[in-house]
Amino acid sequence: MSLIFILIPFIASAILLLLRPAGLSRHLALVAALANLAATAYCVCCDYSQGMTCTFSVPWVASAGIHFSLGMDGITLIMLVLTNLLAPLIILTSWDHKFDNEPRYYGLVLMMLAALNGVFLAQDGLVFYIFYELALIPIYFICAIWGGQDRIRVTLKFFIYTFVGSLFMLVALLWVYLQTNVNGAHSFAWADLVAVQLSPAAAHWVLVGFFIAFAVKMPVFPLHTWQPDTYVTSPTTGTMLLSGIMLKMGAYGVIRWMVPLAPEAMHFVDPLFISLAVIGIIYASIIAVKQSDIKRLVAYSSIAHVGLIAAGILAWNKTGVQGGIIQMLNHGINVVGLFFVVDLLERRLGTRSLADMGGIAKSAPKFATLFMIIVLGSVAVPLTNGFPGEFLLLNGVWNYNFWLGVLAGLTIIFGAVYMLRAYGLVVFGEPTPATERFEDVNTREFLVLGIIAGLVIVLGFFPQSILGLTEASVDRILSVVQF
Amino acid sequence: MTALLILFLTAIAVLFAGLTKRSLLQPLSLFGTLLALGATGYDLFGPGFGWGMEYASMFRFMPFAHAFSGVAILATVLIIALSGWGFRNLNSTLGDHYGLILFSLTGALILFSFTNLTMLFLGIEILSIPLYVLAGSRRDDLSSNEAALKYFLMGSFATGILLFGMALIYGATASFDLGTISRVIGNGDQMPGMLKVGILIMIMGLSFKVSAVPFHFWAPDVYQGSPNLITAFMATVVKTAGFAAFYRLFAIAFPGAEGFWSVPVALVAALTMTVANITAIFQQDFKRMMAYSSISHAGYLLLAVLAIGTEGADRALLFYTLTYSLATICAFGAFIIVAEQTGNSSFEAFNGLGKKQPLVAAVLTLSMLSLAGIPPLAGFFGKYFLFTAAFAKYPWLIVLAVINSAISIYYYFKIIIAMYFNREDSQEATLEIPAGVRLAVLVGLALIAWLTLAPGSVYGLI
Repeated sequence: MSLIFILIPFIASAILLLLRPAGLSRHLALVAALANLAATAYCVCCDYSQGMTCTFSVPWVASAGIHFSLGMDGITLIMLVLTNLLAPLIILTSWDHKFDNEPRYYGLVLMMLAALNGVFLAQDGLVFYIFYELALIPIYFICAIWGGQDRIRVTLKFFIYTFVGSLFMLVALLWVYLQTNVNGAHSFAWADLVAVQLSPAAAHWVLVGFFIAFAVKMPVFPLHTWQPDTYVTSPTTGTMLLSGIMLKMGAYGVIRWMVPLAPEAMHFVDPLFISLAVIGIIYASIIAVKQSDIKRLVAYSSIAHVGLIAAGILAWNKTGVQGGIIQMLNHGINVVGLFFVVDLLERRLGTRSLADMGGIAKSAPKFATLFMIIVLGSVAVPLTNGFPGEFLLLNGVWNYNFWLGVLAGLTIIFGAVYMLRAYGLVVFGEPTPATERFEDVNTREFLVLGIIAGLVIVLGFFPQSILGLTEASVDRILSVVQF
Repeated sequence: MTALLILFLTAIAVLFAGLTKRSLLQPLSLFGTLLALGATGYDLFGPGFGWGMEYASMFRFMPFAHAFSGVAILATVLIIALSGWGFRNLNSTLGDHYGLILFSLTGALILFSFTNLTMLFLGIEILSIPLYVLAGSRRDDLSSNEAALKYFLMGSFATGILLFGMALIYGATASFDLGTISRVIGNGDQMPGMLKVGILIMIMGLSFKVSAVPFHFWAPDVYQGSPNLITAFMATVVKTAGFAAFYRLFAIAFPGAEGFWSVPVALVAALTMTVANITAIFQQDFKRMMAYSSISHAGYLLLAVLAIGTEGADRALLFYTLTYSLATICAFGAFIIVAEQTGNSSFEAFNGLGKKQPLVAAVLTLSMLSLAGIPPLAGFFGKYFLFTAAFAKYPWLIVLAVINSAISIYYYFKIIIAMYFNREDSQEATLEIPAGVRLAVLVGLALIAWLTLAPGSVYGLI
């Protein structure tokens, strides 16, 4: 069962890249993404209270203890929901764009989708690493082929930055792998890796290796410098894939791999990690307030939000981890919505500068309303989807350390400042000649924004529907890993 | 052994055929190498021919030798398949070319199976002498002549050093036989100074042959000046043979002296990967870049020598040489299509290739990604196996190797960037892809894909 999440997009991607069916590519991509969504919907109904389900395992390099093994629990399920729910929306947002070489474009998007699903499903350390890196190749090409100005330099920086980060993870993973002993051989299976007792000194290095990889990906201060440029330069689809889904690979990796593999040294290094995450929240928020380019503003807001997710998860208590998981889903939904709004503005006005916007509420009321709902979700107003996640995350950090909780709480205030400032500058005020002719959303755009706005409200009212799915799995991982 | 004989006979037949029917040459060489590949496969997977276990204590064809012979013969098959087009401008000397390549290959086979220092010496000479001629085979080209002369001078210098080392080792152990040398070293309480100097000098001589820093300076000029396919042959078959010999010698003869030689080898490995990767960043010419890339891979491959005694070191070496050879040949296949039709071998020749020739661009992209060791491609597994094998003994070297793999991305990606992202085209002319080249690179690509999906099938061979 779990294999089809990887196979469907991968086969569709191979068809697109090899056969290049010119006219049909986006339809095929949408069908594949919807098929994955249907499979996810089916999996939501499974029972996740008994540990891993839908497991699949075949030996890959048997003599080296590497198995291609996949499996699902509640945490993985939410990540799959995130990935496969956003994928059709992301494909729909680029529907009206004219790309040259469309099959290649959609083929790469689907390959990305396959790799992301693989990251979340992997139950073998090396398989996880391989999918983690595989996700990088398509997004690199998407950003570097169809990106904006200066894309070659920016994307190469992005690639080398993240690749080097992951290599540290590989070394850490290898170290743990070489300590395993299953009937005299080494093994990469998750349970075998977790069972290893590391010396505190080794655990230090292993944690640092993993943290560098995941901190680059999320990104956490001070390893975030690739992110704003890459977001701004990438085509909108690329930005959405990066911010909506790919960042969550890092946070998910912390929950599933980093802490369980080396809990022995968490006591010593955790304060440092959480402090970095909280510094990142405040730093990115302050920069976001000053931005005049709306895409850059959303990029910095993303650093702040993900910093809070990281801090909550690293606090490693139930509210923090639960909040992190639900917030990953909700942040994904909100940020895709925001970047779509940015894309609509840029396509219609030809600019991303906030100074050139204003007065759109008059010419495009539907757009303004939907934009408002997404902004409220992003600001974490109660009864929108941002609220339960941020509340639980702050509660988790607070339980860990009062003052860190207070500092992290500033994100809500800052968030309200920069998002509402941006909203005000775009929607209200005096219209310019360009914004007077601003067309309201067409049916397809309305559909995408409507779905996102609907999710913002529904998930805000019923957070328990998500929390209930993950609770048993979070309890299990917290009981396995204590420090 | 059977494969060795088949190759030898084919080479002689090719020399005679070159006098009369030129059109027969490529099919004949291809047939001979494929037959040899089949014989190797029969030895490796099937019951085997049963003879060739030991010849007057000179060579021994064990699974190690069969597996590496498979790698070298496969690489040669692909190069010969490319040669129909790559050698199209050669006139009178075509037969000599195929003959020399096959003779050189028999030398490689000896290096996979020697059990005696005499055979090591003979193998290296049989491998190298045809290459001195081949490197200079574009007789009207000044750089080709320069390459041949440099290669010859440096090569004979290295052979001399190697002989000197052998003589010292003989002096210390009174034997050329690897097993006896190992026993003598194992029995002695402390190593005589003569033996130590002998081992050090042999490390130097072999480092020349595999182009490890600081004995690498001949490689870039020779790689750049030689005809393209000969460069591909040197970068793959010769490298594989050199490392298999290096590994074999140290694994069989000198394991008892590991405490002595492992530090110098580790230093050479560290220097090799760092210097080569950093120099490669500044190259503007594809062949020169590939030369430095090949030197940097020598640095990684030395990890296998350092890992001697660890479970899986020989497998890691086998897997790495295979993936490295396949990716390099695919890259050269794509390169000769581009370079020989545009007459330009710098990175600019690749501008806009992604649009004009998607197939060639895809082949080159996958080869570069595999050489850079990006997961999940076969090259990643090669690096992974090597690094795991040496990790327990040399953690600091693995961290350095990992940093170096990251540096290497920069120059491998230069080509990808040129092909896909540089929007201005260097030339409008469309490129033709000859059928033989297309077939060879597709086979190479299919094998890379196979190694990606099922790395265990080769890793578990020996």
